[in-house]
Amino acid sequence: MRGATNRGRHSMRLLPASGFALTWALAAPAWTLAATPATAADTLASTPSDLSVTVYRAPTRRSGSITLNALEGFALISETRTVRLPAGLSRLRFEGVADGIEPSSAILTGLPAGVIEKNREGKLLSPSALVAATVGKPVTLLRTDKKTGKSARLAGTIRSDAGGGVVFETSQGVEALRCSGLPESLSFMGVADLAATPTLSVLVRSPEPLTRTVTLSYLARDFDWGADYVATVAADGKTMDLGAWVTLANGNGVGFPSAQLQVVAGRVNRESGDMEPLDVGGPILAQCWPRGSTSDLPQYLQIDRAWPLGAARQGAAGAMYPMAASRLMEVTATAKKVEQEQLGDLKLYRVPDRTTVASRQSKQVRLLDRSSIPIKLVYGADLAADENATSAPAHLLLRTVNDVTHHLGLPLPSGRVAVFAARDGATLLEHESNLRDLAVGEEVEVDMGDSPDVQVRAAKETTTIDPARTHELPLVPGVLHLRSAQVEAVDHVDISNALGVEIQFELRLRLPEGGRVVRADHPLGSKNGRPIFRLTIPANETMTVRYQWQHMTG
Amino acid sequence: MRVYLLVMAFGFCWLAGPALAADRTLSVTIYADDLALVQDRRDIELKGGRQRIEFQDVSAQIRPETASLTAADISIVEQNFDFDLLTPAKLMEKAVGHEVTIVRVNPATGAETREEALVLATNGGVVLKIGQRIEVLRDDGLPVRVIFDKVPENLRARPTLSVTVIGGRAGTRPATLSYLTPGLGWRADYVALYNEADSKIDVQGWVTLTNSSGVTYDNAQTLLVAGSPTQVDGGGRQPNYYRGQQPRPTLQQAGTESGSRERLGDYYLYPLAERTTIANLQTKQVSFLDVHGVPAEHGYEFRNRWLGTAETPQSAKSVYSFSTSAHAGLGDQLPAGVLRFYLRDKRGDPQFIGESRIDHTPMGSTLSLATGDAFDVKVRAVVDKRTRLSTFNWQSDMRYELSNALPRPVTVKLLQEGLWGDSRITAESQKSTRRSAETAEWAVTVPANGKASLTATFDTRY
Repeated sequence: MRGATNRGRHSMRLLPASGFALTWALAAPAWTLAATPATAADTLASTPSDLSVTVYRAPTRRSGSITLNALEGFALISETRTVRLPAGLSRLRFEGVADGIEPSSAILTGLPAGVIEKNREGKLLSPSALVAATVGKPVTLLRTDKKTGKSARLAGTIRSDAGGGVVFETSQGVEALRCSGLPESLSFMGVADLAATPTLSVLVRSPEPLTRTVTLSYLARDFDWGADYVATVAADGKTMDLGAWVTLANGNGVGFPSAQLQVVAGRVNRESGDMEPLDVGGPILAQCWPRGSTSDLPQYLQIDRAWPLGAARQGAAGAMYPMAASRLMEVTATAKKVEQEQLGDLKLYRVPDRTTVASRQSKQVRLLDRSSIPIKLVYGADLAADENATSAPAHLLLRTVNDVTHHLGLPLPSGRVAVFAARDGATLLEHESNLRDLAVGEEVEVDMGDSPDVQVRAAKETTTIDPARTHELPLVPGVLHLRSAQVEAVDHVDISNALGVEIQFELRLRLPEGGRVVRADHPLGSKNGRPIFRLTIPANETMTVRYQWQHMTG
Repeated sequence: MRVYLLVMAFGFCWLAGPALAADRTLSVTIYADDLALVQDRRDIELKGGRQRIEFQDVSAQIRPETASLTAADISIVEQNFDFDLLTPAKLMEKAVGHEVTIVRVNPATGAETREEALVLATNGGVVLKIGQRIEVLRDDGLPVRVIFDKVPENLRARPTLSVTVIGGRAGTRPATLSYLTPGLGWRADYVALYNEADSKIDVQGWVTLTNSSGVTYDNAQTLLVAGSPTQVDGGGRQPNYYRGQQPRPTLQQAGTESGSRERLGDYYLYPLAERTTIANLQTKQVSFLDVHGVPAEHGYEFRNRWLGTAETPQSAKSVYSFSTSAHAGLGDQLPAGVLRFYLRDKRGDPQFIGESRIDHTPMGSTLSLATGDAFDVKVRAVVDKRTRLSTFNWQSDMRYELSNALPRPVTVKLLQEGLWGDSRITAESQKSTRRSAETAEWAVTVPANGKASLTATFDTRY
């Protein structure tokens, strides 16, 4: 039964459903009598009455915040529109879709059967597109007298726009545009059916006039979001308060007024490549014959895309705007928070009220506020065995667990965390680092940078070779021997603490494959399969750790 | 039968329609890999005897060597493809040795002075001979119009194909020009809506056609071919395989069922039901598949590429698998493309949850597609101990820590890859299956909001 339903509903729409084909065949002769038999009536869908925007992060970014001048995420946009279709064939156009639209992802629901095809025109209206569309067709040349301001109109034909230069023919002969040094311009008859923005259209056939509410959903590029956390560590260093913003940005030239807004955390697969062809056009290039006296480089005005004020166009200058805003946290502490729900294996955050996502705008919505989270500040160093290092500052880590006992226990989406320290009622920025996606129950580790007051120095103390454990291998007997000897070295590490408080220190060793610590003067632990010394170093003291390691053989 | 009816109806419509060129029938066959065969049938007027026929509206990316013109009672003398384009600079270059008219415009009065000039050279500047004087054009920067009598032969706005023929008898008769061109391509785009409540998917398939060939194909009969014919020169992408970069396999089980779709050799054909206009730089989509309620399975998969340690837990992949079989599957072969997954949120609105590429897939296959990383299901692989047993024999004690922050138990398919040489599992906390010499597989169940651990000892000889 189930299989049967399945087959029955599986239609092959490339060839229309049989009953439909028949009606169409019968209807065709009637159409030929009409004035425009095969041309579709042009219908424009209404502006969206309802909008929903779901922003996804850049799939390649595992941690860190967004960069306003390189928004590599995307968004799913759903627009509810009303359409009025006449009977017969019509071309239904959807204007005002995001300029970053990926046309192949567009889904249209709500129309009755009869959608023949979906189209996205990639050729946009631009001066060069106008010229290209007018090649071989009549055009008017305007030539203005600089002295009198009078302009002469001359009917002509564009013969070529190849290679950037424009050649036109008038009754006087063949000339090249703007090569004479006179103010010359072209005046076109029509706009050649070109749209200003990428427009999606649907060819649809309806047996009768109808009005429907349809939903158009599509993916669009040039969006992104990240979480911006602000951690304020209490003066005693035992707890912190954590607040976070969802920072999202729309780099498209189209805004989404009064939209339902969601963001999705978690990495989703994206298949790159297969870009749809798009010609955004350009200015008319009036290239001429070589000019002996001056340069014949084309001169034209280029209108660039808009960039956020102060954001560097090249390189990773790091957009500091979200950061600046997050420092204003106290001002908007009463903001409504996003609501989280499970979406398959992803996390969806819903902005409670409708909001406007304007074009080229970054926006912040409150994600969470938690206080008195117990933390541990741990200093540490990661050393290779037998390392001979001069003094290097130790690393400081802020550690807690994402669970209820630590006043957390909620998914923490990836982003950037700024750690502030309390000082006389004010807070000062201590460090900024990146955070990956953290599920409930995971350990949270925030990199706090290097601490110059805690220094680590490693050295080989003694090296001994036990003659009893050497082996000789004669290569040429009596002349050349190969000696293999077990070198036994004692490594020592000095850790000095110039701070006035006792600190926790983790010294982690990176031994060669197959190596094992055989002797040590401090208790040895293990973390992720690597040896670790967990030490407590008193205030203003230096501690020395000695250890010896060997290659282990089964 | 009904299909024929339809085509006839269209043909009638097309002949009667005044808006259409009455003497031209285009048919376009598009292959999946950026290649198309264009057949352009039109009436040509033959004078009898030697004659040159120009085709201006052919693809700008035409492979001219593949062009062929067939008509009754003609013989081809030669075929030319002229790509010398008409630009102002070329116009001047071709005027060397010829007379042009120059019009000087007095900037103060606007008065025009007309003179005949001979173009002597155009190297780095135009040198003119006016009467007995030699001048450089616009050397003083003042406005000078240059008027040419005509556009020289061979210079055109667009590359042009021309064929010289000897026609047997005069008169108008149909001729077919066919050629191959890149710039036209298609792929499939799928939309899958997964229903979590009953583990079923609805799948819609669209063919997506793109045209960047430079011209518009008006009212063309379109046929799509699923498959990529071997191209000798130029086109065709070489698969880029090298170890470590291989994508995750999506085809679990290759199907052995045959569909009802039309075939050509080993390719499947997807004819478009109606004539369509493929505009330049247009993306066009036509539906070809619409199936509801196909059983699908959702699971988790984690691949550890080699016997190594991960410092932070890594997310398992969220994987959806389903069949393309006629029985309890999509019931169709799938042309290569991208499948996008959607899932309804708490309000019932579909939300995007990731996409995956599929290759040409025969009917009856089992597909397993990863949509992305699971936020709540993570795995950390740790080498607890690595011991050298002898020079070429190592032992690795692996531990895999799995965590699940979801309120329900999950099963993770854990794959340990990179087992090269003679690798044996000497001890393990749960029985593994060896998928291949290089891969071991476990199915580990992780309790709701809990953790699970798996250990295995590998003995590697090489």
